[in-house]
Amino acid sequence: MSDLWEVLLRHFPEFRSGFLVTVQLVAVSFVIAVVVGLVIGALRVTPIRWARLLGGLYVEFFRNIPLLVLLYISYLGLRRAGIEIGPWVAGTASLGLYTAAYVAETVRSGVFAVGKGQIEAGLSLGFPYRKVLSQIVIPQAVRSVIPPLGSLVIAMIKNSAIIGVALGLADDLLKQARLINSRTFQTNEVFFWAAVGYLILTVTATFAVRFLERRLVVRR
Amino acid sequence: MGYLFDPENWHWLISGNNFRFLLTGFWINIQIALVAMVLSLCFGLILALLRLSKQRIVSVAAGVWIDVWRNLPLIFIILYLALAIPEPWREAYQRGVPEWFPTAFQSPFFLAAVAGLTLYNSAVLAEIMRAGVASLEKGQGEAAASIGLRYWQAMRLVILPQGLRRMVPATVSQLITLNKDTTLISILGIQEVMRHARIITSTSGSPFVGTGVDAPLLQVFLTVGVMFVIVNLALSRLSRRLEIRERRRTGVETARVAGLEDQLAVQAATPLE
Repeated sequence: MSDLWEVLLRHFPEFRSGFLVTVQLVAVSFVIAVVVGLVIGALRVTPIRWARLLGGLYVEFFRNIPLLVLLYISYLGLRRAGIEIGPWVAGTASLGLYTAAYVAETVRSGVFAVGKGQIEAGLSLGFPYRKVLSQIVIPQAVRSVIPPLGSLVIAMIKNSAIIGVALGLADDLLKQARLINSRTFQTNEVFFWAAVGYLILTVTATFAVRFLERRLVVRR
Repeated sequence: MGYLFDPENWHWLISGNNFRFLLTGFWINIQIALVAMVLSLCFGLILALLRLSKQRIVSVAAGVWIDVWRNLPLIFIILYLALAIPEPWREAYQRGVPEWFPTAFQSPFFLAAVAGLTLYNSAVLAEIMRAGVASLEKGQGEAAASIGLRYWQAMRLVILPQGLRRMVPATVSQLITLNKDTTLISILGIQEVMRHARIITSTSGSPFVGTGVDAPLLQVFLTVGVMFVIVNLALSRLSRRLEIRERRRTGVETARVAGLEDQLAVQAATPLE
């Protein structure tokens, strides 16, 4: 037991910096995922056929490819092709683009959940298409998008661990744990605290989503 | 774009047995995914039953177990097990494993890989099953009890068949995630598709061991990616079809499970419009 606390106290700076790097990785990737996901999601619901096809191709490709393969392509593959992007950019862009496919699907189902009838009703009342989107569709879609988006944040926290360990692209929590372990060999203690770090993040995200969800339902 | 589609850069695909080498690696991933899936389904069902137990202590303990493992990164679990499983166990495994098993299965870290995949996925599947059962109306259990069925009879005959039916889409989407996640065990040095791809990129151009044709990393890993995309697309098509048929037949909606990567597969089962 005393070992456990000793490890935490002695290596607190490393654990903390790893924890913060993980948070940053997730935050940056989340912004990328939401921005790209919104664009692709919008493509998926336009009346234009080729735009829908393009969006569909993006979603099916990035959703079904392993994140690790994406990391290899974006870091080592592009480097070999003469396009040098930094480890941080490669890591966050891969995680962001990967998750964007799921965000796009979330957006699409959120828009579809609103129902064609409401859109038609809005249009027939003489609202312009943009007004229908901004006044009728989006406010309702946001509500149904929050819970799956929360799930994606949790998945991103877990997936971010791949960036640091597999290719060494960032010194995140798991990478730090591995480094500390290679110096101390106190595997159980080190990984216990790393697990606590990850659980703090994922459990906080779970409760945040539940809170948001409840608030949005009450307002309805 | 020119670089990507330059035939020169794709020549490796048809030279020597590069492509077959990639495919054998990919086949290992599929096999490992299948093994892990079967194990995860078994342990997941046990965990779900424990979670649904009437005994409060059992239910809470199972709940904590499930929530801890499904909220940790899978790569974290695999790495931890690889470091924490003592060497004698690894050696015992290596001695005990039948020789006709594929080379990847002979790796001393294979145990850690499969245990990690199972630990994580059984927790996720347990949560999916629990949500499926929890989404049933309470009346189902009460009705089963009132016609004189015991707890286990009610579970087996009434609750589980309906609850499990609702979890089919979520389970298939988890199978897709599991299939992708098998690439993570390459960090333990197990010879699967990622390792095979690395070998091709580093040796194919070599005049001594390779075919003398340079295999660019980008194209090789893109090929690996496409392999996963094809198999996973087929899986998701299958699940979509199963789900539509089920819904038409029974009219049930699927339950929502929080914290899943592919939340949508679950939500898509609820009728649109």
